[in-house]
Amino acid sequence: MKKLSRRDFLKLLATGMGGIALEQFLVACGIKPTLVASDVIPSSTNPSPPAKPGETATSQDVQEDATPGITPELVVVRGGQPEEMVRKALDSLGGMQRFVPAGSTVVVKPNICVDYRTYEYAATTNPWVVGALVKLCLEAGAASVKVFDFPFGGTPEKAYANSGIKEQVEAAGGKMEIMSAFKFSSTKITSGINLTKTDAYQDALEADVLINVPIAKDHGTTRLSLGMKNLMGLIRDRGALHSRGIGQCIADLASLFRPTLTVIDAVRILTANGPTGGNLDHVRQLDTIIASPDIVAADAYATGLFGLTPQDIAYIPAAAGMGLGRMDLENIRIEEILLG
Amino acid sequence: MPPTFPRKRTINPHHAWAVARKIVQYTLLAIFLLLFLLARRDGILAGNIVNIPMRLDPLTMLAHLLSSRSFLAGSALALITLVLTVIFGRAWCGWICPLGTTLDLIPLKKLRGDRRPPAEAWRGAKYLLLTATLTAALLGNLALLAFDPLTLFYRALTSAIWPALDRIVSALETFLFQIPFLSEPVAAFDGLVRPALLPTAPAFYQEGLLFGMLFIGIILLNIFAERFWCRYLCPLGGLLGLIGKIAIFRRKVDEECTGCILCERSCPTGTIDPRKQYASDPAECTLCLDCLEACPRSRIEFAPTMPKAEWREYDPGRRQFLMTAGVTAAAVVLTKSNLLAKREPSHLIRPPGAREANADPIAMDKCIRCAECMRVCPTHAIQPAAFETGLEGLGAPLIIPRLGYCDYACNACGEVCPTQAIPPLSMEEKQQQVIGKAFIDEDRCIAWSDGLTCTVCEEMCPLPEKAIQLEEQEAWGPDGIRVMVNMPHVLRERCIGCGICEYKCPVNGEAAIRVYVPTTALPF
Repeated sequence: MKKLSRRDFLKLLATGMGGIALEQFLVACGIKPTLVASDVIPSSTNPSPPAKPGETATSQDVQEDATPGITPELVVVRGGQPEEMVRKALDSLGGMQRFVPAGSTVVVKPNICVDYRTYEYAATTNPWVVGALVKLCLEAGAASVKVFDFPFGGTPEKAYANSGIKEQVEAAGGKMEIMSAFKFSSTKITSGINLTKTDAYQDALEADVLINVPIAKDHGTTRLSLGMKNLMGLIRDRGALHSRGIGQCIADLASLFRPTLTVIDAVRILTANGPTGGNLDHVRQLDTIIASPDIVAADAYATGLFGLTPQDIAYIPAAAGMGLGRMDLENIRIEEILLG
Repeated sequence: MPPTFPRKRTINPHHAWAVARKIVQYTLLAIFLLLFLLARRDGILAGNIVNIPMRLDPLTMLAHLLSSRSFLAGSALALITLVLTVIFGRAWCGWICPLGTTLDLIPLKKLRGDRRPPAEAWRGAKYLLLTATLTAALLGNLALLAFDPLTLFYRALTSAIWPALDRIVSALETFLFQIPFLSEPVAAFDGLVRPALLPTAPAFYQEGLLFGMLFIGIILLNIFAERFWCRYLCPLGGLLGLIGKIAIFRRKVDEECTGCILCERSCPTGTIDPRKQYASDPAECTLCLDCLEACPRSRIEFAPTMPKAEWREYDPGRRQFLMTAGVTAAAVVLTKSNLLAKREPSHLIRPPGAREANADPIAMDKCIRCAECMRVCPTHAIQPAAFETGLEGLGAPLIIPRLGYCDYACNACGEVCPTQAIPPLSMEEKQQQVIGKAFIDEDRCIAWSDGLTCTVCEEMCPLPEKAIQLEEQEAWGPDGIRVMVNMPHVLRERCIGCGICEYKCPVNGEAAIRVYVPTTALPF
């Protein structure tokens, strides 16, 4: 072998160091600048859909469009087909255009927790409920409607297909996206109490409108999985929440994402063995939709479907205490609609 | 009149052959890679189409036949390769083998320089490796198939090359995504490549480095001789070479050869021997036809020949053959006296049904080590065994729940396995197939040990009647106060050992709930 000259050695060394530097540079690039969520919180007496960071409040000022005293703060529709119930609920809340200004970008967040259940098992959101929301957003003039979730069991592509949600979303003209690792960025939760920082999904934070469409179901850890619990699908490290008071952590997440509208799917509810289910004996068909811009009120109302009270679900009083919404159902304007 | 070389070189008609070979090689390499890429759960091609490369390989099929003593209809595809070899010798090596083509694409000529190749005697090594592989197979051990060129190629792609490529793409995506005008294209690009080509979550493989380095090492051997692997080591090359000795089409040099040595220089396996009038060993010749092109006087032809080719001095003698077979048999017997033969490793979790399908769950006597199951597993739960199941289990599939869990809605491994070492189970059968049993480590569990609320394992359990149930019990809380906490309990008879509880357990490092071998009675 040829003797290695000093020049060659130095060249090799420089190439190696350069490689390491490049690698470090790429790694460093992975650390995103910290986003700061707006710390504007709606007051408990005026649970308007909160403005997103960097956006003017006027574009989404609910009170401008809604007629005070007549428009309910929470709507419950029963006894119809899923799409029919969703349309009725939104009509009653003042129309989708109240929440989705023309030209806005919309993210719809269903619960697609696993890839091995079809919608009959009530582990994932009813596909026609999701589809109806996508249609309504597009009818209201949304520029784009993206739908995604981060399943914990199995792969997203299979979960999207098996839940039936992909088919309905695409038929409605929306886009099903698989969540990309690089779109999670370290985000401060300024009003967070237990959780002050998390890797949150940028698309959900940056969308003009976030529509939260959970399914109401039993859950081992939190007793019930409802609207606020559904937001856990928008962060990377969900395991970390379990060791530091998950109820408060979920409320903290609600303060970060603050969905414009929450539509709870209770067409079928899962009453035991949640959140994954798998036994039809645990599924009850209620044909019910609960919709409200106030995520806390929607969750509080949904507890009643299971014979529970808002106080029983730790994240509801925690969120109400932070002023994210109201759980005093007796003081909220609720419209209950029964479809023939 | 002395012979003169033509001044103006017209296009050599033999050049077309070399071009044709390259076209075939690159097309087939592309197809092999495409089949690798398409080997996905619910992919557009069924598992038994994706695994065709493995079934074309006569070495894995023969070894499987010897080891399992059962013949699979799919193995008949290997006969195509055998017939091809009987007609054209080692044409597989020169025209088809993806590892061979890779070695041709990265010849490392500059690094090799004028280095002289190793002694000719080394060519015998591949026959000894072949002998060892087949002897061990006869005794129910297929571990040496980890050195079959196809399994080696696919295992390296699965466990090392592809994950590494994914890391590079991810780093670039993460970097470019932050440049404002590039965010949209990067997101669109990501939507195109994932999950179609790259995983949606990064894959981790144990000893991926080892298997990747083995592959890179084989390429680096090109520094010592062109196609070093094919000349000296490849056991499949050895098998095809032996058949090549009686192949019909062989290289012949006629008497008008002037001894210009151009063919010798062009030969990638260095088998053209000036001392034998530029004849070659059909067991070494890969029919690449480079010499046809190199010969300025067209004195070479590939024509039907009948008599058996001569036995060279580097070919193994009876003594070497018997020695190798004996040593291999002794080694296989020694593994039977090893600790593993009495007590299974406690984390020996095999893919669904594999424990039952193989007579020997440690050596996996039906498994040809092709790594297709590892490729197709969507959660990267199936890992190549390094040494935890002994030398006899090298390269066999192992589920390591801390790296990935068995997805409740997936039976892809059984569908893609070419030898039914992992049986093809219906979804319903698979969902009831017990592969292990979960146990809680109460000293590590957040609920049991710290008195904090954590029920992740219960939440994750996919069974319709969860195998993990919660019971409120009194425990020491974090502040030294007695508190009531929901404690997870495993109902062992329900548990199928899918391992999602172990995978998702939020305790760092070793999980607080772990899957062990199914608790069946031991023979003694």
